[in-house]
Amino acid sequence: MMDSTPILDIRDFSLVFDTFDGAYHAIDKVDLSLAAGEAVALVGETGCGKSVLTRAAFGLVPSPPARITSGSVRLDGRELLGLSDRELRGVRGKDVAMIFQDPMTYLNPVFRIGTQLTDAIRAQSGGKVKRAEARDIALGMLEKVHLPNPERQFKAYPHELSGGMRQRILIAMALAAKPKLLIADEPTTALDVTIQAQILDLMAELVEDMGLTMIMISHDLGVVAQVCSRVAVMYAGKIVEDAPIGQIFDAPAHPYTKGLLDALPHPFKRVERLASIPGTLPDLLNPPKGCRFAQRCASAHAACDAPVGLRRVAPQHTVACTLFEDTPMKDPVHEH
Amino acid sequence: MLSIRGLDVHFPMPNGQVVRAVDGVSLSLKPGETVGLVGESGSGKTTVGKTVLRLVEATSGEIRIGDVDVRKASLKGLKTLRRKAQIIFQDPHSSLNPRMTIHRAVAEGLILNTSLRGAALHDKVSTILESMGLPAQFHHRYPHELSGGQKQRVCIARALVLDPDLLVLDEPTSALDVSVQAQILGVLKDLRITRPALTQLFISHNLAVIRFLCDRVAVMYLGKIVEEGPVEQVFEDPRHPYTRALLSAVPVPSAVKRPDRIRLTGDIPSPTDIPKGCAFHTRCPIAKKGTCDTIAPVPVALGPDRQARCHFADHTKGVGQE
Repeated sequence: MMDSTPILDIRDFSLVFDTFDGAYHAIDKVDLSLAAGEAVALVGETGCGKSVLTRAAFGLVPSPPARITSGSVRLDGRELLGLSDRELRGVRGKDVAMIFQDPMTYLNPVFRIGTQLTDAIRAQSGGKVKRAEARDIALGMLEKVHLPNPERQFKAYPHELSGGMRQRILIAMALAAKPKLLIADEPTTALDVTIQAQILDLMAELVEDMGLTMIMISHDLGVVAQVCSRVAVMYAGKIVEDAPIGQIFDAPAHPYTKGLLDALPHPFKRVERLASIPGTLPDLLNPPKGCRFAQRCASAHAACDAPVGLRRVAPQHTVACTLFEDTPMKDPVHEH
Repeated sequence: MLSIRGLDVHFPMPNGQVVRAVDGVSLSLKPGETVGLVGESGSGKTTVGKTVLRLVEATSGEIRIGDVDVRKASLKGLKTLRRKAQIIFQDPHSSLNPRMTIHRAVAEGLILNTSLRGAALHDKVSTILESMGLPAQFHHRYPHELSGGQKQRVCIARALVLDPDLLVLDEPTSALDVSVQAQILGVLKDLRITRPALTQLFISHNLAVIRFLCDRVAVMYLGKIVEEGPVEQVFEDPRHPYTRALLSAVPVPSAVKRPDRIRLTGDIPSPTDIPKGCAFHTRCPIAKKGTCDTIAPVPVALGPDRQARCHFADHTKGVGQE
């Protein structure tokens, strides 16, 4: 993995929603970059902008009301911002695939699984793949995602399958075109814990065996722990911390990351009190000039009123907090 | 305080099949105790909670709250009963009337059930809302003006204002973000101290939340309680293979790989077609042919308040432990 071009390189990305009350600053100057084969988690609570970021980068947030005000999004070196809708459609599905929380919503209830899979595969190839060939690819993918009896499920309708099986089918559909990047937006949130564990195992296996590059969006640090090697924590439209998974759990730096971890009840430890984060999200119609977390932060001080960028605290660990000094180090994130 | 004996709740379907949502559940809660009911979707945990308050009619069995036989209670008896037993649901937004201020929503129970009126009523409602962390400026707002966590506080206040003896909580934090969930869990934990006599049945699929709040836990699978016991004992030494699998599937916020991984294959069978013998044998890693697929296991007592419904509950100690 010495290739220095990241698969995905988002730089200085800002987005506002134009509303009747003014501009809502949903994403503010976000940098996020993924090397080939890397699985990165994007973690944050409702409204932090994690889903908007990954959708807007690939042209999936309608404009208006959304307006990208700065930045660049490069996929394998190619700039995506400014591409036409038609060009973006060629990127999505083929180079970037996505799976979402509720698999039922993304399957058409009146078509058989097999039809939907082969149609998707043919569309991804721009019609070059013949039906019979698409069927072979589809069956091969269903085996890769360990769907039992692929031949039989091929004839089934979505309602005849369980939630876990549907999610496996969407993963198969997403990966059939061998995309450069997979975006998994809360892929297990709608599933029961034992089924969630199966799907997480599958995703970890795909990252390891297929060299899949993935962004996994979740609100649950426990869920991403098994699959991802790096975590970016988002709060109110900004990435506040970006670090290898071990460091997030063992040495979290940002007060918000610490707050999130302390708020989680633990199944195997006796905990008497959970720390909760006081207050609510800032008003993003009128966002604070400085740190967006400052008004809820116990460690806030005068310096927090000024804008704060990401500071490097360890070779692959950056944090947007005035409590830390920037330590310059050579070749940061993409060294493996 | 609450005693459930041999509870069956069966729903007939138009095609002649029967959904056995709850199948022979027995559970009793001592006064002041908080008991967790945990299971995956379709396990019947919510149906148990609703049947306790007779929001769903049982098919057979007995439910007693204090000295009231819930299934035999008259309409008038039910009114008294619902004053003494309250329920809180997962989604606070759909449990609140959008056209009532939250002060009015909390007052309603008092108006219907007590003779409290005027200033005394107003003060009682204000006091309870404030004790739930909702200061006076919120009291005359409508539900849509509050956040999810604030709305859940209103629902808790509304349930508590009648001084119930029993509180059924059905996934009260599942719709909330982690930091808000932590606040609500704090409010609920405080109740253990401020209202020591309150008995709580806490229904959840989240084992970490159960561990945090409950004294005892009952694990349900396909309508049956498969394991029951004090929370520490069940979590540290699970004896039913389903409990073990469930615990090992919980995502833990730690980068260290879990040594106790047990993965169940396949999905939960349909409750219209529950497997013969032990309902879990189709997914069980230790199922024995000839035993588990033919003979239904009975609960094996493993200690005071501790039992597991498995043929091998005695032999599984220490298997798959951390």
